[in-house]
Amino acid sequence: MKFTRHFISAILALCLPLVPLHLVAAPEGEYIIISKKGSENITLALNKLDVQRGDDGKVAHSMDLIIRDGLAFPGLFTILDSHVAVRDNSGINFSTPGSINAEVFVRGAVTRNAGNVTLEMKVYSIGEAKLLFSKTYRGSEKNLRSPAHAFCADLVERLTGRRSAFGSKIVFVSNKSGFKEIYQCDFDGQDIVQLTNARSISLTPALSPDGKYLAYTNYSTGRPALYIRNQLDGKSVMVGKSGISIDPAWRNSREVATTLSFEGDQEIYLLKSDGALYRRLTKSSGIDISPTFSPDGNNMAYVSERNGQPQIFIQDLLSGEARRLTFNGDYNTQPSWSPSGDKIAYTTCEKSGEFNIFTVGIDGSGLKQLTAQTGQNESPSWSPDGEMVVFTSNRDGKRRLYTMGSTGKNQRALLQMSGEQMQAFWSLFRK
Amino acid sequence: MKKKINGIFILPLLIIAGCSSDAALKTSGSTVTPASQAPATVSSRSAIPASAAPSLASKPAPSTPSPVALTQPSLPSVSSTVSPTTTSSSQQNGLPQSGYGFDQWQTGPVGDVFFEFDSSALSANAQEQLAKNAAWFGRNTSKSARIEGHCDSRGTSEYNIALGERRSTTAKEYMVRLGVVSSRLESLSFGEERPFDSGKSNEAMAKNRRAHFIVQ
Repeated sequence: MKFTRHFISAILALCLPLVPLHLVAAPEGEYIIISKKGSENITLALNKLDVQRGDDGKVAHSMDLIIRDGLAFPGLFTILDSHVAVRDNSGINFSTPGSINAEVFVRGAVTRNAGNVTLEMKVYSIGEAKLLFSKTYRGSEKNLRSPAHAFCADLVERLTGRRSAFGSKIVFVSNKSGFKEIYQCDFDGQDIVQLTNARSISLTPALSPDGKYLAYTNYSTGRPALYIRNQLDGKSVMVGKSGISIDPAWRNSREVATTLSFEGDQEIYLLKSDGALYRRLTKSSGIDISPTFSPDGNNMAYVSERNGQPQIFIQDLLSGEARRLTFNGDYNTQPSWSPSGDKIAYTTCEKSGEFNIFTVGIDGSGLKQLTAQTGQNESPSWSPDGEMVVFTSNRDGKRRLYTMGSTGKNQRALLQMSGEQMQAFWSLFRK
Repeated sequence: MKKKINGIFILPLLIIAGCSSDAALKTSGSTVTPASQAPATVSSRSAIPASAAPSLASKPAPSTPSPVALTQPSLPSVSSTVSPTTTSSSQQNGLPQSGYGFDQWQTGPVGDVFFEFDSSALSANAQEQLAKNAAWFGRNTSKSARIEGHCDSRGTSEYNIALGERRSTTAKEYMVRLGVVSSRLESLSFGEERPFDSGKSNEAMAKNRRAHFIVQ
């Protein structure tokens, strides 16, 4: 039976239309960059994990599924089941995975010992007929996701040269409990944890790049104030300023920016992670909110209504000079600076009243619409590798979280949870 | 003396009525001193700006269908001296009329004021209500209030918190200019987090764009 299924999948794989391969491998630093012309996926032949003892089969099967789902998540790969028998002390016959049109071949073995698991993975370039890398991962039988995703992260980074989203966290708001509280989940929507229990209104979470602090807005005192939560001990400290606080963002792991109105007008300020006020960043009458920083921290994009309507501006923090970035539409908010540094995602209120997500180059060129005609789409936040965007949409009625590729393709729900979810922030931090 | 006070008030009020709240904030404090405001609060009528005055004199014709009235079926009867006059501008814009007693949230005695979408500018009707509110605080000197700024669910929620505070602050500054001591009024914002009407109709949206007074 098993053989039959494998046989059918092998036949199906063979029937895939043959496309010319443009796999280019070039050494760059310690990475081997493999890129393809155009935006085609890398085709990856994935062997089932080998086991040495029969009773390790269940763990191997679970690990297989985690690796397969993990590699499918970024949308970079076309994954084919492969069944290349590899005998000990012998080379690999690359014509076998090559015959199903794969460019990369992945195999590995798992062993179980007293509650611990060892995962030995090998990745080959089929075109070059050589081993790309080989690495051993260890973990607990109770947490197979950790070693499996560590391998997925290494594979994606070896193939793309960029850090991956594996192991990163997403923080978001949900009203599941009847109150808006801050929750956290893994990059793939798994392992949901409730972080706050203020029974008030908690909004706009942002994790520091080192993962140690969570900044958010909370109404426990009756007005919106900035809170900074130590992720290790779970304790939150309120930043005691009069007026209100809106929408914090981390410039680096030591500095957080937020809008404060204690001086009368709403301006963006920098604070230390202990809440001490450090520096005022904006000086324009009217609304200045929603900071987001370039990867080097030298520039800040934010929303200003200095021209009468909310538009996104970029300010050079060294010179203090600000320039307007968005000119398309008269209501542009929620900027998110991409980790690669070259683009900003944001939300536009279109003339129809529909909210949609766009990206634009930091020089204002290359405007691209990522969502269309699917209800209200808002609150974009980039994955740490810049390959994906998490956002909020009410396309299925209530507001839920979705992910999509950086060009808008492959839009899908991130997680299943009761209540509504919104304001997702994808952290740079990885375990 | 009375004429002079009116003159002092008309200038900033006209600016508020005609311009964005930015301009209103810039003019506050510099053109009017607290000392000159105090007497005005004794009489609400003398504090009512000229731009709002015509609405007191001209009641809407009974035969004219009022879109505002349709949204307020449970409007309680009020005394004739504060009869529900409606300015032409608020009728055209479909804004709820300022005041109180319109829904479970608005219990008075200090009336709400309503705003256009993405705006914190005070309509003539809103200015009129704020003048009444200021007069009430003039009579009830031991009372203070929190002014909550609220927004409809259109717009993005972070921006709406900012906009809600602008609405609250604009209402507060107007009343401060009419002589209410600043420390008696605390402004804050709920953005779109606490809608008064969770409906999606234009009428529901309009009811949510308000500065709401919690008397303490």
